[in-house]
Amino acid sequence: MSATSRQKLLSAVLSYLVVFISLLFFILPMLWIVYTSFRNTDAVFSGQILTEAANLTLENYNTVLSVTDFPRYFLNTVAIASVVTLLSLLCSIMAAYGLSRFEIRGKNALIMSIFSTQMFPQVLLIIPMYLVITTLRLLDTVLGVVLGQIILVLPFQIWMLTGYFNNIPREIDDSASIDGCNIGERLLYIVLPIAAPGIAVAAFFSFVVSWGDYLIVSIISQSQRTATVTLVLQRLSAALLVRWGQVAAAVVLTIVPTILLFAFVQARLVEGLTGGAVKGE
Amino acid sequence: MKERHKGIILLLPALLVMALFTVYPMVRGVTMSFTNANIMRKTNDFVGLENYARMLTDEVFWISLRQSVSLTVIVVLLQLVFGLILASAMTQKLPGMGVYKSIIMASWVIPVAATVTMFKFMAQPDIGLINILLRDLGVEGMNKYWFGEPQVAFTFIILLHLWRNVPFYGVAFLAAMQAIPKDYYEAAQLDGANAMQRFFAITLPGIRSMIVVMVTIHVLWTFNNFDFVYLSTGGGPVNRTDVLPVYVYRKSWTSYTVGYAASMGVIMLILLMIYFVVYTRLFERQETNR
Repeated sequence: MSATSRQKLLSAVLSYLVVFISLLFFILPMLWIVYTSFRNTDAVFSGQILTEAANLTLENYNTVLSVTDFPRYFLNTVAIASVVTLLSLLCSIMAAYGLSRFEIRGKNALIMSIFSTQMFPQVLLIIPMYLVITTLRLLDTVLGVVLGQIILVLPFQIWMLTGYFNNIPREIDDSASIDGCNIGERLLYIVLPIAAPGIAVAAFFSFVVSWGDYLIVSIISQSQRTATVTLVLQRLSAALLVRWGQVAAAVVLTIVPTILLFAFVQARLVEGLTGGAVKGE
Repeated sequence: MKERHKGIILLLPALLVMALFTVYPMVRGVTMSFTNANIMRKTNDFVGLENYARMLTDEVFWISLRQSVSLTVIVVLLQLVFGLILASAMTQKLPGMGVYKSIIMASWVIPVAATVTMFKFMAQPDIGLINILLRDLGVEGMNKYWFGEPQVAFTFIILLHLWRNVPFYGVAFLAAMQAIPKDYYEAAQLDGANAMQRFFAITLPGIRSMIVVMVTIHVLWTFNNFDFVYLSTGGGPVNRTDVLPVYVYRKSWTSYTVGYAASMGVIMLILLMIYFVVYTRLFERQETNR
């Protein structure tokens, strides 16, 4: 065997080793929780990895979906995450288009200061934010949670979409404006379709951040009206006697929407999240 | 209407939201740090630097500060190393690698609360996967609730961070590595450079700006992260996993001493600003030296 082919074999073996170990570490915990969610109570508490096939059941899902309040929290979360996504997209698309296409005094400083708000410790922000939201009488409302969460995603979205819009040649919307299109039409019919992949990533980002947020909800939500799945997971798994089968089912139901959306944007995700750093130099 | 005004109008909704829910709270937070504000007792008097003086003798503050810094340093360094390893493996064109690349980032998209619950379950005594495997491997006397063990709880917090973010590093570095022109490697190979030399002479410099972006994002994210620790250990056992965000949160919403909590939040902000300035300066200098 020649030296180069031996080297190739070696690197293939090493790569597969990395793949194997990383799959164990990153994927096994998810498979284990899915498996647990389909096991009956005896099997979950047996301390065995494999139990009789007869111990597999839908009982946990049944209980979580019909006996507990989980469906209600799930719908709350769907509502909150959807509104956060829509509102943040509306704000960030407009802002990014303005930053990318118009002369604004001190534009770079503005972009820099929008982005630097990412540095602000959220635990510090939420103290006065709680007071603002209380003053606006939005405590324990969907809108209150939404407004609190939007600022988690807005700076990043604006930064990302400005980059996307900058990559779309100006000539395209200049020619449209000669044809008599106004700003709204140019954005809607010309820029947005071209930037669709970037907008999909931005939408995914805000939905997932909102869906997974615990910090903001834990402060602004005061009752069942606005509680979300992350709050419930925390409560279920902190109980004195944890019913792990049901908790596992709740975890799976919490994860599934994010994984489904991830499947749609997966190919574009990294490019979008790292905003052009891919190009290297 | 002037073009410039149109631009500003487009920015208005975003700026309004950020002014009300980011800038104003930030300013208010800083001013609050000089008061004895308390949500329950409704006090709100100016106390000067009293909160900052109190911090000096607050043992938990120092523990949290130290652990926040070491958690951030350890986590980001390990993520960097493992991310490079993952990315290098993924550059190999091997059967199955496409599928692997498309699923490996799943851990990044699921809610932190779900991740924590999964790991808490795996760390349960008797019924958790970790303890089942240890028992089946014949390891005696290790049947513990791992998040409750003072010696290992901190390690488990590190594991949670790695579990969530290492694949993101891997996929990001991979994308940057694939943008490096192939002929660099061919030329190096002709010059007799081995795999290690090629990695340090071509790959690392080639993905430098991606490394800078990833490290910046994750230093901020890790240092500010609240839910991993809060949801898994709450800072315990006996403060072994306490970090600043969690301590600030407890001081605000369990003790209601929001003035004192705000002053610690301000310290967090100052530390991040120092990091940011030093780091960007270093990076700029390197850039001009090249």
